[in-house]
Amino acid sequence: MKLNVNGVEHALESGALTPLLHVLREELGVTSPKAGCQSGGCGACTVLVDGEPRRSCLTPLGAVDGAEVTTIEGIGDAHDLHPVQEAFHTLHAAQCGFCTPGMIVATVALLKRLPQPGRREIERALSGHICRCTGYVKIVEAVEAAAGGSR
Amino acid sequence: MRAVGARVEKVDGIGHVTGQTTFVDDWRIPGMLWAKVLRSPHDHAAITKLDVAPALAVPGVRAVITHEDVPKNVLGHLEGLGVPADEPLLAESDVRWKGQPIAVVAADSEEAALAGVAAIGVSFEERPALLDVRLAFEADAPKAHHWGNWFPHFGGPDTPPDHRKIRKGDIDAAFEQADAIVQGVYRPNAIEQMPVEPQVCACVPESNGRLTIHSCTQGVYFTMGIVAGHLGVPLNRLKFIAGTVGGGFGGKVESWTEPVVALLALKTGKPVKLRFTREEEFLCTSTRAPWHIEIADAVTSDGWILGRKMLTLHDAGAYARFSPYGVTKHSFHIAGSYAIPNIHFDGYVVFTNRTPTSAMRGFGVTSVSWTIETQMSRIASVLGLDPYEVRLRNASRIGDTTPNWVTLHDPSSVPVIQAAAEAAGVELTADYRTMTRDPRSGDLLPEWLEGQLGDLDAKES
Amino acid sequence: MAKQRGRGMAAIEYPTGMNQGGDPSQCWVKLKPDGRVDVLSGTVDLGQGAKTIQTQIVAEVLGVPTDWVTFDNSNTDTSPLCTGSFASRATFMGGNAARIAAERARERVLDIASRLLEVDAADLDIDEGEVFVKGATEKRVGVPDVAAAATWQFGELITGTGAYLKPYANVDPETGRTDRNPHAGISYGACVADVEVDDETGAVAVTKLIQVYDVGRAINPMFVEGQLQGGGIMGLSFGLLESSYPYYPSVEHRGSEFGSYLSASIEGLPEVETVLLENPDVDGPFGAKGVGEMASNGIGPAIVAAIHDAIGIWVTESPITPERVLRALDEKAGGGGEPRRDGKRYVFDESLSVNALATGISFEVNV
Repeated sequence: MKLNVNGVEHALESGALTPLLHVLREELGVTSPKAGCQSGGCGACTVLVDGEPRRSCLTPLGAVDGAEVTTIEGIGDAHDLHPVQEAFHTLHAAQCGFCTPGMIVATVALLKRLPQPGRREIERALSGHICRCTGYVKIVEAVEAAAGGSR
Repeated sequence: MRAVGARVEKVDGIGHVTGQTTFVDDWRIPGMLWAKVLRSPHDHAAITKLDVAPALAVPGVRAVITHEDVPKNVLGHLEGLGVPADEPLLAESDVRWKGQPIAVVAADSEEAALAGVAAIGVSFEERPALLDVRLAFEADAPKAHHWGNWFPHFGGPDTPPDHRKIRKGDIDAAFEQADAIVQGVYRPNAIEQMPVEPQVCACVPESNGRLTIHSCTQGVYFTMGIVAGHLGVPLNRLKFIAGTVGGGFGGKVESWTEPVVALLALKTGKPVKLRFTREEEFLCTSTRAPWHIEIADAVTSDGWILGRKMLTLHDAGAYARFSPYGVTKHSFHIAGSYAIPNIHFDGYVVFTNRTPTSAMRGFGVTSVSWTIETQMSRIASVLGLDPYEVRLRNASRIGDTTPNWVTLHDPSSVPVIQAAAEAAGVELTADYRTMTRDPRSGDLLPEWLEGQLGDLDAKES
Repeated sequence: MAKQRGRGMAAIEYPTGMNQGGDPSQCWVKLKPDGRVDVLSGTVDLGQGAKTIQTQIVAEVLGVPTDWVTFDNSNTDTSPLCTGSFASRATFMGGNAARIAAERARERVLDIASRLLEVDAADLDIDEGEVFVKGATEKRVGVPDVAAAATWQFGELITGTGAYLKPYANVDPETGRTDRNPHAGISYGACVADVEVDDETGAVAVTKLIQVYDVGRAINPMFVEGQLQGGGIMGLSFGLLESSYPYYPSVEHRGSEFGSYLSASIEGLPEVETVLLENPDVDGPFGAKGVGEMASNGIGPAIVAAIHDAIGIWVTESPITPERVLRALDEKAGGGGEPRRDGKRYVFDESLSVNALATGISFEVNV
């Protein structure tokens, strides 16, 4: 099977039912998607599959054969932060940082689809993402700031 | 000042927002084995058979440990604070809560480790379970713990009494003098700490005989001491890689994965990782305790609290863990933000057959706040008083003492309540708006508060 | 049938550090030959920001920019002991250890600088990475030059160690009286909750939280807000949603995954207003207190009071589910829910009491 991860093509031997999360973390060494629950409940493993946010823990490899997968590594790095990353950093929307890659990936997809989301759209887009540290207050502020900055 | 007081961004924040922060699960360790746990399916049972040989025959399984593999299986984590050891790392002859660990398997893959767990031959003889703290004191209640159904060591390891007491002033006189007595029952339930990063630990045996332990503990030296204690090794045999944690909230004070993976790494000579599933997080790790609290406050018709009587039943679950510490902390704070001259408190650490409870954000005091602040609201309601003003009237002032007789030099209950009223747009009457936290005098020093005043000049030794 | 609005408040206090003290933190600060600073600490960062807080404290004490300071808590071969990041102690205890270590390193910086400048160390101060003579600010030497001189000229390592320990307090088992102050500091807070209760469905929505905390000194106001906001929503979640054993609605309902274990999500978030008061603690680093834990304690009882304000019922068991709200409303409609009057006694919640349910223990009020 083939997978394009952050612009790099990989040929994989894993079985079709292997979770994408396992492939990314254990086979390709891409550790930004986190194994928070491995049952689709926390959102910490979220990646973009052909631009759409997906729970990589519930996504079998066979369902994404040939797809383009984007993790947060493909969105921006320390030398070139994406505006969403910048907003999460400067507004303290990442406390422990464990849910953060999934939150940011989902936010990037939201802003691509809806550059100026209302409060309700932000809540909908991130409602499957658990954060125990922030109470979500600064996360909402960061998403709104990133959307404002992209205007 | 420039650095202190500034809205400095996190020094590790770029790592967080780029996904490059290395949490325990993110360390790439070649040749690593995975561990999985055999747990009790019963709330309470005797273990009548435990045969690990079939597990060792499962392809990929490298080792299994039971209590027999632990040099010191029953280790007190708070012995220094007078809590004797009571809990085995791995169950011995009985299991006392659903989820209690019995054996741990290390294998080449998670699947093989799970197959190994399933292959272990184990049988039980179920015993009656105690699941309601209120029933623990009945003569024929199921016996949840070998010490009895409540913690007996509050005077120290070998001494009575069997519960935590506060005796301050004269509660009967307060009830006698009161215009009203307001009584209620409060039951703040247990909740899970629920960090998004589950408990995960990896141990690498080094060629020089040391063990490198990647841990998400909240207290690195605390956990290192526990590993050293179970293994019977000095601290320099251990190197903890730690300090970057995906949320804790008290749950990662629990130090169980670290000694277990260390034992498996020693037994196999290979790196071993154990990562809890979310189900294990929810069902098998410590939660905050559920509490049962009864309270009766003696009050005057204008809202002074003369005295408080309180009974607390803290559900420790199957073993003591930090519960005696939690109830002692609870006892120091039962007056909350207020000066209460007469207090009579009895607090029991009750054993049941639920998952052991332990530290969580607000340990011992969340239950106090839930209880006594609802009491304050009820007192205001029953007496027809303003909820801000009844609190301000009783609020601690400089020179007041706590239930355990600590003299307060710096209480700020008055200014925070005033500020909350202001933020909420609540108009306080002039007396309460201008009130200060200065030492008591005049109308704010009624006769019943005189005896509780502390010595502000006393130097602490 | 309608949505009823209500407001409630609660006032709370909370200690800093382990309950009876006896919980040390240690720190080691050392300078590299170019004046950059290493902080070796055992304090765990769980997300609260301990790495940054101690970086700020050390930078402040040494008078150098924060980006000169590298914080390392990564391993026990180099990190000294910190009892742990719990009991609201990381900023207070860990921060104090870092402050003391930095103060000792600062003394060494000033000593070396005094030799270079030929000025008494007592007349020197440090700011923005330069040591200068108080009152004669043109006479100065950079901290990098001081560190270089220590290394290459004087053959010294500029370093400082610090430890903070509140001695252990014993408790009298008969009275609960402690033989010394066990608390490193006590913080105070007050919370207000606005709710909207649907008296048809029993659903409670929290529309606004006001949280006022005396934080002593906000080393980093953004982080304190983060703690208080996160704690506030955790408190809301505790009050209205969450239930571990003995579970809700029954022992059989074990919430074993997100979704069956209910907790607050980003949806329906209330407006959260956070007010910081700064009343410096005499022992805290730069006056800081520890407020991380208490942030989740005041919201629950404020919600209980707000629900009473809205619909006249008291629910004293958490979580306050729609079912519990509806049952209380039913009881009220049937003429119940009021406290039983017995002389001057107002007795609430009798059906929950050990007096009604159990033998072997009772709760007596003798009047």
